[in-house]
Amino acid sequence: MTSLALAQILLNGLALGAAYALIALGFVIVINAVGAVNFAQGELVMAGGFTAIALAPLVGEAAGFPGLLLLPLVMLLMGGFGVGFAHLAYFPLRHRPQVAVFISTIAIGLVLQHLANAVFGAAPRVGPPLIAGDSPTVGGLTLSLQQFAVLGSAALLVSATGLFLGRTQTGRRMRAVAQDPEMAAAIGIRPARMITLSFALAVALAGAAGLLLSNQFFVSPNDGGLFMLKAYIAVTIGGWGRLDGAVLGALLIGLFETLVAAVTSYLVAEALLYGVLLAMLAFRPQGLLPERARARV
Amino acid sequence: MFLKKTAIALAAILATAGSARAETVPVLVPITGFLSLEGTSQRNGAVMAIDTLGAAEGLETEVTDTGTTPEGAVTALRRALADEPSAAVSSMLGTQMLAMIPVADRAGVPLLTVSGTARITELGSPNVFRFFPGDSVVKVAQARYAVEKLGARRPALLYQTTAYGQSGAAHLKEILAGLGAPLVFEEAIDISVKDMLPALTRMQAAEPDILLLHLHSGSTALVIRQARESGNMFPVVAGSAMHQPTTAALLEPAQLKDVCAESASSPISEPVGPVADFTAEYRKRFGIEPDAFALAQYDGAAMLVAARAAGAKSADEVRDWLAANSFDGLAMTYKSDGKGNMAHDAVVVCYDGKSRVPAIASRYENVDRTN
Repeated sequence: MTSLALAQILLNGLALGAAYALIALGFVIVINAVGAVNFAQGELVMAGGFTAIALAPLVGEAAGFPGLLLLPLVMLLMGGFGVGFAHLAYFPLRHRPQVAVFISTIAIGLVLQHLANAVFGAAPRVGPPLIAGDSPTVGGLTLSLQQFAVLGSAALLVSATGLFLGRTQTGRRMRAVAQDPEMAAAIGIRPARMITLSFALAVALAGAAGLLLSNQFFVSPNDGGLFMLKAYIAVTIGGWGRLDGAVLGALLIGLFETLVAAVTSYLVAEALLYGVLLAMLAFRPQGLLPERARARV
Repeated sequence: MFLKKTAIALAAILATAGSARAETVPVLVPITGFLSLEGTSQRNGAVMAIDTLGAAEGLETEVTDTGTTPEGAVTALRRALADEPSAAVSSMLGTQMLAMIPVADRAGVPLLTVSGTARITELGSPNVFRFFPGDSVVKVAQARYAVEKLGARRPALLYQTTAYGQSGAAHLKEILAGLGAPLVFEEAIDISVKDMLPALTRMQAAEPDILLLHLHSGSTALVIRQARESGNMFPVVAGSAMHQPTTAALLEPAQLKDVCAESASSPISEPVGPVADFTAEYRKRFGIEPDAFALAQYDGAAMLVAARAAGAKSADEVRDWLAANSFDGLAMTYKSDGKGNMAHDAVVVCYDGKSRVPAIASRYENVDRTN
């Protein structure tokens, strides 16, 4: 393999990993907030992609409107849906066994899948280009504008999420509720409000990933399962409950998938990825970055 | 006397009412899951034929989503068999068909399908009627076009890991070897793979002169798009997924330059005649473009209506009629080869790089020499 081909593959892997990172980030935020796995995270990514496709004609897609400008609107709409999601999937079941929440998120995921099928049809659809214009070629390397847009946006969103949770009053309250809801309530924080906000943020990030992936990799009603699985593996490899671990795990998956497939084959890459996952579960279940004791989020 | 006349009249009325009772044709197709695009086409074709042609024969449809699991398809079929239909339109997903065939055989009900998986007509079942040319037809067209028309000598192949993909790949390998152009590279790709660059990079090392695809819609578009974006401009001869308007819609016309595809037909490529009328009606009904799967299933359901019009009412009569007669459909003439393979023609369509509507570049008739 030439160094040029390797560079192209690395760029692809990074872009894919960056998008996975947003999905995994949302996944971890919900886990930390309520201790439950949101199995609809993949379908929420798909919903974000279709939201972007639905909005694109309204904002002049044909006139070369850069799809990246839709990002705040998609995140806002998906965040709003996240509020509803929390009140549908979590709050009515919060005093039931945790499995009830798992099942409810699976059910909502399936509803979203069938809804997308009914509204947008079964065919894969292509999302708006994130940046208009042709990708330049530098020294034989195609610098895909779409990939750079994915990488840049994902990096920005990951950093912003980190800053929000670490440096703002609201973020600190969310972390307090994640650590100890009763104690947080005792000092005047409203746990329900913070949990709702966690869901909104997680769903908004999933929606952002959906928009970022929609042009390069298309959107189809059946894509959810794949993204869900990647997020789950990223979190397991990176470290359960760690935001930085989720991002690290996602980037590693993106690079691992593309590099190993380029050297061997997709089937070997897939088998090895799950092999690594099994090994992690067996020998390092805490992940690469173990969860800090009582300091989640 | 009066009572006797009344009884006779009542019996006549009841008999008339009985004969006028509508019969439901079950349409058991994958509307959700990874084959939902093709399954929707299948459903639309069947429903349109029964609605427009079958009403006179007292036929109507009931659509059931089979999803993508064999058990989903079997459950749907078992439920439909409770109404004792004379035939059923059945899934185009090979793994589902393989599970449905034994159930249909026990009930003696013919299955009308557009599945491309070769094995479904190799099990000795008298109840399978395939209205889409199988791999033994379309893969011949694909390979011959690549070798004979485009002069390929070093073909590479990317195929799906599904039953459909593996069946087609096996046929292509054999046919290409017979044509003196064995594969220089091949790779199976899972339906979930999004980044095709690793395969394209390794393929380049084998120095192929053409790329053959046997993938579903999304994967086909991803390969072509990523190949073109990374500067790989080699000719592509794809499987039938690439003839679908919905697949072409995922790509820019310029990316479609030097891209061809095998298919049973290409309704949108026919500017006039009965197929053009079918296309116009299909657009009106469903608001989307028809593809070869829709047209093939339309023809299949139309042949069922013809069987009914010819007096075949029970499942046994319908099966015997389908097995013994030929039928001039819109796409081609259908006739069983004794195994249930009804379609023996194929076309290769090519895009010119300026639009998303392909032109028919080559026709291959009676490829498997059964008629």
